Amino acid sequence: MEDPDSAAQLPLPSLPDNSTARVIRLHPRGGAKSLGNAATTTKDAGSDHCRSDQQTTNRQTASKRNCLWYALYFPQLGELNKPQQEKYLHELAGLVQSVSSTVSFHPLTLICEIRSSLKYFAGIDVIHNKLKRQLGTQLSAWGLANDFLYAASPTVTASLLLARSGRNTLVYQKENLRSALGKLPTEVLDLDKEQRRRLYNMGVRHLSDIWRLPGDGLRKRFGSNFVNQLNKALGKVPEPTRNYLPPPAFATSCELPYELENLDRLLPLADEMLAQLCDFLRRRDLATSHLLFSLSHEKRSSTKIELGLRQASRSQEHLMLLLETRFSNLTIPAPVSAIKVEAKNFDAFSGHSDSLLITGKPATRRYNDSKLSQFIEQLQSRLGEHHVKRVNNLAEHCPEYASQQFNLNALNDAEKNKPVTTEQTASNPRPFWLLQDPVQLTLRKGKLYHRKTISLVSGPERIETYWWSGSNIRRDYYVAREANGSRLWIYREKGVEKNWYLHGFFA
Amino acid sequence: MTIIRNHDQPQAGYKNLPAGKACGHTTHIDTLLQSNPNLWRGVDMAGQGCHGHSTGFPPLDNILPGRGWPHKGLMEIITPHWGMGELQLLIPLMRSIVEQGQWILWISPPYLLYAPALIQAGINTDQVLLVKLDTSCKDALWSMEKALQTENCGLVLAWQNWLPNKVLRRLQLAADVGNTLGVLFKHHDSEHSPSLMRLKIGDSLPSEGQFNESEVTLIKARGNFRPLTARVNFYQQT
Repeated sequence: MEDPDSAAQLPLPSLPDNSTARVIRLHPRGGAKSLGNAATTTKDAGSDHCRSDQQTTNRQTASKRNCLWYALYFPQLGELNKPQQEKYLHELAGLVQSVSSTVSFHPLTLICEIRSSLKYFAGIDVIHNKLKRQLGTQLSAWGLANDFLYAASPTVTASLLLARSGRNTLVYQKENLRSALGKLPTEVLDLDKEQRRRLYNMGVRHLSDIWRLPGDGLRKRFGSNFVNQLNKALGKVPEPTRNYLPPPAFATSCELPYELENLDRLLPLADEMLAQLCDFLRRRDLATSHLLFSLSHEKRSSTKIELGLRQASRSQEHLMLLLETRFSNLTIPAPVSAIKVEAKNFDAFSGHSDSLLITGKPATRRYNDSKLSQFIEQLQSRLGEHHVKRVNNLAEHCPEYASQQFNLNALNDAEKNKPVTTEQTASNPRPFWLLQDPVQLTLRKGKLYHRKTISLVSGPERIETYWWSGSNIRRDYYVAREANGSRLWIYREKGVEKNWYLHGFFA
Repeated sequence: MTIIRNHDQPQAGYKNLPAGKACGHTTHIDTLLQSNPNLWRGVDMAGQGCHGHSTGFPPLDNILPGRGWPHKGLMEIITPHWGMGELQLLIPLMRSIVEQGQWILWISPPYLLYAPALIQAGINTDQVLLVKLDTSCKDALWSMEKALQTENCGLVLAWQNWLPNKVLRRLQLAADVGNTLGVLFKHHDSEHSPSLMRLKIGDSLPSEGQFNESEVTLIKARGNFRPLTARVNFYQQT
């Protein structure tokens, strides 16, 4: 590449490869009319108006004066559905970032600022060729047409409009925008059908026809959005853009100077890495709920430690506590030679603010909740997620299906089939303990017998269900009392065999 | 207590008080003493003061020190089998704990915990957490200790048949730290256990007509010096 210093002078606007591109350097026409309510007819007043704009948004306009916005328009993405378009644009934005740090999204279009990169890349041609090569390969990898339309101008909206027109125009000076835009057909503007029809009926075919119309009239007929769009294109009003931010990713690793066998000695190092992670999260205002630690060993596959959090967090102490819990229960096959931390997902950080006034219960309860979820996470990380369960009640006739256990992380599913209220629960007594498999009871001397003889207390409660699914359940449930004092929930099958079964303890 | 009454000379701080008020002060100290569960006065029988958490069973309240369950500490409930009424005994306690917004942790319960019964007992299942039966004893004890130390688990229920006194003492200390009540369900009584209270649910007496009362024996309780027995009907509703 050429030494950027040798091209200290901005390269003259040279023609891009494409022969249809043309460079427009026109002097502003006299009596330039600006649009909008504050429209003035004389040139002097017009520049005054500009100056006041500059004052109100001085920093923005000051930097904008030196900006050159390069728009890349991808008409081929229009055939795809919205989410896919967004996804592709995000990936393309990642590529465009190689030439500019300021990339913003517009419908089917990416716009980046390249004035600051011109010197480094030694000209817009180089930038264009670089992008064309990179984007072309990516686009053809997706099976789309591998070219795009482009334009560059001092304002974002003008670049957008110019690129849409497909003329691949390059405009360096703000004064030239008006005439460059004037040549564009009105189709490039963001208009709805009705507005389009009305413009057409007014005999407006090109933007230059609009320049001739009075601003306040336009505002009245087409709304302020329309006028704003034109003013933005001409650089008369500020154009805030939302810049592309690459998705957050965090991974850090550390090679140990010597191999460690004792995991406790790894903790200070892990603490440092977590500090880095938490710092990163704070800067991005994020929190994480899934971390992956990998401890690499010599000549062995690395040990992976996954930390899952019930509630996304970025508290170093909390993460450290969880890691310590995991380490306390971990055996490593070989000494550790390196440690790596990776954040697997990111969530928005949700902090809670304490009340200034002492409200007592609600505040303390929320505080408790966060402590409780920390405790639950600790439990999960020690015992494994499948060992910590919650119970839930289901509206079911069949006793064994009326209660379910589920993992804490399946909470969202549980929210869907919302816990049954008391009215939906059976009104007859139900036992605390249910036997997974009912135990058949024997008869001794004509009396039911489990550990001791059984006498019935209340019942029967008939449950007949699932006759439609083949496993016909027909049972008469009784509350019974064993001679040693325990309460049983027993049933008798109504089928052919009429056996008695023990199904639960009231405990 | 008698020592305080025998104070002929009021202490420096009370010098200025008139005699009549000093007498009122003594009764105030009485109430203070009675409401302190950590103070054990040998001469007094159980049932003094009302600092406990009512069990919901008046005969049992009568034999418990403080007229109810303690607020923190480790309790052992000993039953010959699971399902002798030990959970019925705790329903009022569990209900009030859930109402306070605290959680109940069940550590390795022997059978499936049946949600409809919880709902019927007025216990919100959202505040119930289970540690499954197939966790190792070591892990179960670890979780119990952690849960007892955590202040927002209101009640920790664990089923472990035999535990050495050293472990029980550790759990008892954890419960003291976390201000939590822990309940251990066991089959066998271990003497000299450091836990706060040991209750035994015995076989109920041979059925005398419709009487369904079970015998609850208070083997040991801090603040009480001899075993007491109450007969409780767990199934008042039915």
